[in-house]
Amino acid sequence: MNTIESRSTQRKLVDGMQINGEVNLNKGGKSPQGQQGINTKVLKQGLCTGCAACVDLCPSTEYYKDNIILLHECDLVRGRCYDYCPRTPTDFEALRRALFDPRDMIPELGAFKGLYMTRAADKAVRTGAQHGGTVTALVQLALGEGLIDEAVLSDHDEQFLSTAQAVVDGDGVFGSAGSKFVVSPTVSAFTRSSQINPGKIGVVATPCQALALAKMKVNPALEDEIRMEKLGLVIGLFCGWALDWRRLQNLLQEKVGDTWIAGIDILPSKHACMEVYTEDKTIKVPIQEVTTCVRENCSYCFDMTCEFSDISVGSARSSEGWDVDKGWNQVIVRTALGEKLIARAREKGVLEFKEIQDTNIEKLKKASVGKKRACLLNLAKKTGSRDDLVYIDPEDPVVQYIRTLSSMQQLN
Amino acid sequence: MSSILLENKKGFEALLMGNDAISRGALEAGVSVVTGYPGTPSSEIVEQLAKVAHARNLYVEWSVNEKVAMEVAAAGSYARLRSMCVMKQVGVNVAADSLLHIAEYGIRGAMVLVSCEDPGALSSTNEGDSRPYAKMMEFPLLEPGDFQEAKDMAKWAFELSEDIRSIIMLRSVTRLSHASGNVTMGELPVVSPGARFECSGTPMDQMIGPILAFPTLIDSQRRRQLEKLSKAAAAFEKSPFNTYTGPEKPELLIIASSACQLYVREALSILDLWSRVGLLKLGTTWPLPQKLLGKHLSINERVLIVEEGTPFLEDNIKVLAAENAKQVGIKTFFGRKDGTLPPVNELNPDLLINGINHILGTTYQPVSDAYSSKAKRITAVGAPDRELTFCPGCPHRASFWLIHDVFKLDNRSGFLCGDIGCYSLGAAPCGFSTIKILQAMGSGTGMASGFGKLDQFGMEQPVMAVCGDSTFFHAVMPALVNAVHNQSDMILTVLDNSGTAMTGFQPHPGTPVGATGISLPMVDIEKLCRAMGIQVEVSDPFDLKGTRKIMLDLLENGGSPRVLILKQPCALSPGKKGEKKFEMSIDETLCLADQCGCNRFCTRVFKCPGLIWNTEKKITQIDEVLCVGCGVCADICPTGAIIAGEAR
Amino acid sequence: MENALKCDPYNLIIAGVGGQGNVLASRVVGDMMIHQGYKVTIGETFGASQRGGSVMSHLRISARGGFSPQMPKGKANMVVALEPMEAIRVLGTYGNPQVKMLCNTRPIQSVGVICGDQVYPEAKQIVQWIESLTADAKFFDTTHEAAKLGNPIFGNIMAVGALAATGDLPMSLKVFKDIISKKIPADKVEVNLKAYQIGRSLIGNR
Repeated sequence: MNTIESRSTQRKLVDGMQINGEVNLNKGGKSPQGQQGINTKVLKQGLCTGCAACVDLCPSTEYYKDNIILLHECDLVRGRCYDYCPRTPTDFEALRRALFDPRDMIPELGAFKGLYMTRAADKAVRTGAQHGGTVTALVQLALGEGLIDEAVLSDHDEQFLSTAQAVVDGDGVFGSAGSKFVVSPTVSAFTRSSQINPGKIGVVATPCQALALAKMKVNPALEDEIRMEKLGLVIGLFCGWALDWRRLQNLLQEKVGDTWIAGIDILPSKHACMEVYTEDKTIKVPIQEVTTCVRENCSYCFDMTCEFSDISVGSARSSEGWDVDKGWNQVIVRTALGEKLIARAREKGVLEFKEIQDTNIEKLKKASVGKKRACLLNLAKKTGSRDDLVYIDPEDPVVQYIRTLSSMQQLN
Repeated sequence: MSSILLENKKGFEALLMGNDAISRGALEAGVSVVTGYPGTPSSEIVEQLAKVAHARNLYVEWSVNEKVAMEVAAAGSYARLRSMCVMKQVGVNVAADSLLHIAEYGIRGAMVLVSCEDPGALSSTNEGDSRPYAKMMEFPLLEPGDFQEAKDMAKWAFELSEDIRSIIMLRSVTRLSHASGNVTMGELPVVSPGARFECSGTPMDQMIGPILAFPTLIDSQRRRQLEKLSKAAAAFEKSPFNTYTGPEKPELLIIASSACQLYVREALSILDLWSRVGLLKLGTTWPLPQKLLGKHLSINERVLIVEEGTPFLEDNIKVLAAENAKQVGIKTFFGRKDGTLPPVNELNPDLLINGINHILGTTYQPVSDAYSSKAKRITAVGAPDRELTFCPGCPHRASFWLIHDVFKLDNRSGFLCGDIGCYSLGAAPCGFSTIKILQAMGSGTGMASGFGKLDQFGMEQPVMAVCGDSTFFHAVMPALVNAVHNQSDMILTVLDNSGTAMTGFQPHPGTPVGATGISLPMVDIEKLCRAMGIQVEVSDPFDLKGTRKIMLDLLENGGSPRVLILKQPCALSPGKKGEKKFEMSIDETLCLADQCGCNRFCTRVFKCPGLIWNTEKKITQIDEVLCVGCGVCADICPTGAIIAGEAR
Repeated sequence: MENALKCDPYNLIIAGVGGQGNVLASRVVGDMMIHQGYKVTIGETFGASQRGGSVMSHLRISARGGFSPQMPKGKANMVVALEPMEAIRVLGTYGNPQVKMLCNTRPIQSVGVICGDQVYPEAKQIVQWIESLTADAKFFDTTHEAAKLGNPIFGNIMAVGALAATGDLPMSLKVFKDIISKKIPADKVEVNLKAYQIGRSLIGNR
């Protein structure tokens, strides 16, 4: 994902993500709410995020090379795959009520307890990570402090194909550092790990993965109630979009042929391009070419800052620009657990903090609103109706807010 | 339990399968060389003769394919031995190139081609009809009409062949080959033939010259062959295998060949029409006995022609009637072309009853409307069709499961080209509908070789072919060489189950035995492929995890042909002796049954007949009678509820 | 030769599922008839698969012969069914109000039933249907009886024994013994004789 990287943590808080009674998260109507619904309403519509929330629940669905594959037909009219999918109809307001303090809600950014600019204190961590190493540091902290017993992280292979697995110590966390540009089956790794391991699990998640976890947490099926109690922490990653692996492969093949690639990075804002690092040189690929590799589903995403997490992390986009804050992260704290984690990080000195400009939050809001607005336009265009936003309720207060903002801007 | 084929009491009457009757006829004719390639409904002939090969001093082989079988049998004939070559109808197409040359040159020792055909394609990928070859390639054709005739005509075919020095085709159909009836045996001769190929004469001398298909020799060879056809036609005019039953001046003449004559007899008896309708049963169907047919045509105005396959007799009799219109007059013909009988599919007595009723305006109702509508109603609910499926423990189920899964995972709309064998069922639900193209022997690999070269036109779908071990030798090898030489981007998966399973475990070049059970060197498929310069992987389809990984890697690493050999003997193979590898059981506390998380994955999706879905207890169970303990279902169970325990 | 057939031709159908030994049963009956001077035609229908498909043998037994290996519709005199669903299937095409039936009651589930696409009818319902389509139907569990002999496959010979007990065809124990001794290995003769006898006793009085 075009985001920020990984790592860290702190002691477990009792009220990480609260559950608020019975909530109907899926407003599906009469159509099939099982694998068939996933197929017709998500996969065939180009909405699948590849989060893998539907994987490892049953033998009929698998994840392979950044795709969700329906291996064999399942004829159940109601299934967990459908219930947990972040792109089936979702009652966002119910999720927000269940997981966050209503007083913290900001329509543009979700629950908000504070914005920080941080980086890992450990230089080695910073070097391994692509931006500030904050996520890596936080995951290591959470593990070290016993806040969680294991952490589900994504990694990638030599072909930039993402994997996800649970690690139990700091070294494992370190190995997973660095930006990923292709989606990882993170939620399925959580499902697998929570099936066999008794302890608390932290997950480093993109917005779509965090949304799936939130749906699972707030309204688990009977057989998943124990599993979801093990979800101890969600560290979110800011995300603009992810790349389709096969298209990325083809692009890289076109640019560097069979030359070994040490790594790739995508630079934001005015530097916008993809850098491909080979053994002896750096090849710049124009961003216009890179965006042809973006997954279709990313244009239907309503969330840039990973609102359904305890704490979310992204690269710094300060008003001074990229160069000044290069190597730093911005962190949004959303829950009491997130608050506790960042406090512990400061206390233990695993993170360095930098003073943050007031304008930063406005910049973040603007970027987030931009993504939300594009999402609403794209969904309305897809369905041909402003009142049908596929998985988002048009009556949702945040949707209403964004639409009001837009019409005011048009008036101005 | 000695073979009935060796019964040497003249006049002994026994219940013989049509194919056994043909074998017996060949033995009574003193056959020495027997070759063939297995194929339903022909396989029993070579099989049974192989069993008596030692006792009767025969050379019997399962050849690599029908063309080679034809050539091996021809070698016997050219060395002055009586030889027979056996195949099913589609096999004749494989043999056709050699057949043409053998037919046009002529033979030395008697040579009979037996084509056992499958009207209605009960066990074939096509109906086919080999009889037009007899006309096209100019050799005589015989069609027995019952079991006794199958034996008698087989014997006579050898005599006729040697009389006129031409190959003879004996055509049987499923309802003779695989049906049984009374046969009275003749004598088994004492023969001690010597084999020698004479080539001391000139190419013009059929019996002692070199056998050459040179352009300059063709004119004389064809003229010679046409003379032989005339001799055959003369013999056919007085053949006892052409008989007439019925009144002197019938209202309708029925001309029927093969098993159809039995359907006609049955229909005429049921309709009680023997006083009004005559039956001319033809046993010699090419060249046509002109005088005999002319005589019957001239006294009948209406003619119904009844035959299995294409309207071969119908067309040729019409030509004959036209040529002799002055003598026989104008006729009205009925048959498969005018809709009196269906244009395709095999015939039966009921279709004949309908056809005759259509011509004569007679009526027939076997049971009351009330009974038949009740029976229909009950059958519709009470006896749904039994879908064809792989046997419990069949390695093909695991293989297609894997191929299905890897194509899905690969997600590039990859597809599978099938081939001929039990595994053709890979196109059916029991093979997860994995095969998308299914035609002739070897054609899967040939087509994959073609699809694998279409990338220059934007084709991005991966392509795989499957073939069985016997099929590999039969027709896949040239296609694979083609793929290698042209560097086609394709995968060939060889489903090696150690024998020609579908037709009853006949050996092939990859097995260490021959038709008669003798030890023979086996040709190693893996080594052959490696020698062609192909990347070869070998795996066990019952190792789902390992094989899946190999398949996915093969799919990912395209650009040139790759071969995967999946080795696991057929569940029915004599080698397995019905012994279970695992004792399967169910932990009912772990079975998720029809809940989300499984939804009867084993019985609903994998659907091995060795598993039972207990509708009352809502639980999966093992069918102790059918399960062969392969253990594959334990690997697909998501909760470990199916347990592969140690075999007792 | 005295014609001891109930009618001529006597049309017998032996039906079952691939793997039940249907073909051997029909050969044994055919051989027993030919042994006594009758003319027999047997036609077999089976699909491409070796096991699990519907299998049916048509036996045309006559003093004069010349009958088609495919029986005309509605012409069965007797149906021996090794499997109940197959019994119904046969009656749909070859049944008539006078037909008699000997039926093994043990079902063999088809793949369609296993995977849930089809429903196997209730045992009681099957009996009722068969009785409504036949003049005389007898039911027994040969699979169970055969399993007691060590292998359910003996159900086919038991069914032959039951057919003998109906008295429709001349099928004495002696003829059966003569025929079976020629068809199978010597060490299997005894158990087949036993199966034949059990089959006879299933029908009752003979």
